[in-house]
Amino acid sequence: MRIELLSPLALILLLSPVAHAQAPANTSAPAPRRDLSGVWGMLPSRELSADDKQSPGGEIPPMTAWAKARYDLEKPGYGKRAAPGGNDPILQCDPMGFPRILYFPTPFEFEEIKGRVLQMFERDHVVREIWTDGRALPSDPDPLWYGYSTGKWVDDTTFVVESTGYEDRTWLGAAGFPHSEAMRLEERYQRVDRDTIHFTLKIDDPMAYTKPWIALARDFKLRPRAEIRQGYCVASEENAFTKRIREPGALKTGATPRK
Amino acid sequence: MKKPAGLLPLFALLLSAGALFAHHGNSAYDETARVSIKGTVTEFIWVNPHSQIYVDVKDRTGKVVNWGVETNSPGILGRAGWTRRSLKAGDKVTIILCPAKNGRPVAYAGSGDPGTKVIFDDGRELDFVDKTAK
Repeated sequence: MRIELLSPLALILLLSPVAHAQAPANTSAPAPRRDLSGVWGMLPSRELSADDKQSPGGEIPPMTAWAKARYDLEKPGYGKRAAPGGNDPILQCDPMGFPRILYFPTPFEFEEIKGRVLQMFERDHVVREIWTDGRALPSDPDPLWYGYSTGKWVDDTTFVVESTGYEDRTWLGAAGFPHSEAMRLEERYQRVDRDTIHFTLKIDDPMAYTKPWIALARDFKLRPRAEIRQGYCVASEENAFTKRIREPGALKTGATPRK
Repeated sequence: MKKPAGLLPLFALLLSAGALFAHHGNSAYDETARVSIKGTVTEFIWVNPHSQIYVDVKDRTGKVVNWGVETNSPGILGRAGWTRRSLKAGDKVTIILCPAKNGRPVAYAGSGDPGTKVIFDDGRELDFVDKTAK
């Protein structure tokens, strides 16, 4: 077969850290006051575990028996338990949910309108509304794919979002960790300069985890030249892809492909 | 497959280099490897969330095998400078990609794995680097 292994030298050049080193960071202008508007992209961070991939990551607290039973049924394509195939809900274009969509490697946009901050994602062209009109979180919310969120500025550069009411069929990230409908999130978006948001997340879900989960801190960079596109997951197209590429790639070596 | 001499040190180097980069992370593909295939594009499918490139590749006996190459969404490809007309049936290309671990003619080439790219016969290249990032 006409497949050629690249020469060792070419591979070294392709993969060497020097070839992919980032340019030195420019000194950024100061953060504007109480303003997150713009398109933002997550920087690659130093991931310490395979379970940090496209996931909240960090030190994952022990699961409850309820969560462990769910976790054992989840077969992710990423993380420490990754295997080809699997049952990730997004393989059928189910909504990614929050916070998982935040870790998907496409940019998102913040836009402030009266009484709300909108967080717009490329995947499925999702708009998440973060209410800033002073309302409280509902005490008995209907579960929603993207939850119910309120936000406020706690100082001139830090916007804090609290949320609840999450549909529990979503995974917290690509590594396949579950959550319950009781989950509450606290996100902190600290704009440390014009070009950078420092992001931290606390997942508080006593039904699923024995203590709050502090996610791996991440940075978002302002991306003025990028636009949010309409990245709808279309089930018919995804199914065709699965049949033509995903299923052959998941076959055990030597197995016969399904006709 | 015959193992070239010196494979082990190279493999170790690739593993350590790979750990430094953001991986695509799909466990079906060998992301520590980069191999090239050369052939003729039969289809370029520009859809969410996985665009696809299909390429007829001749093996040593002359038999044509149709390879399916998973790549990125139009959003990610668009920011890397691609359009839906970047490839068309009949184009002669070489693709540097991560092959499937199970040896099937399916593979990944995209933003998750640095170094993957498409090279046309005339030397033009299409890579997956985001051109809108600062």
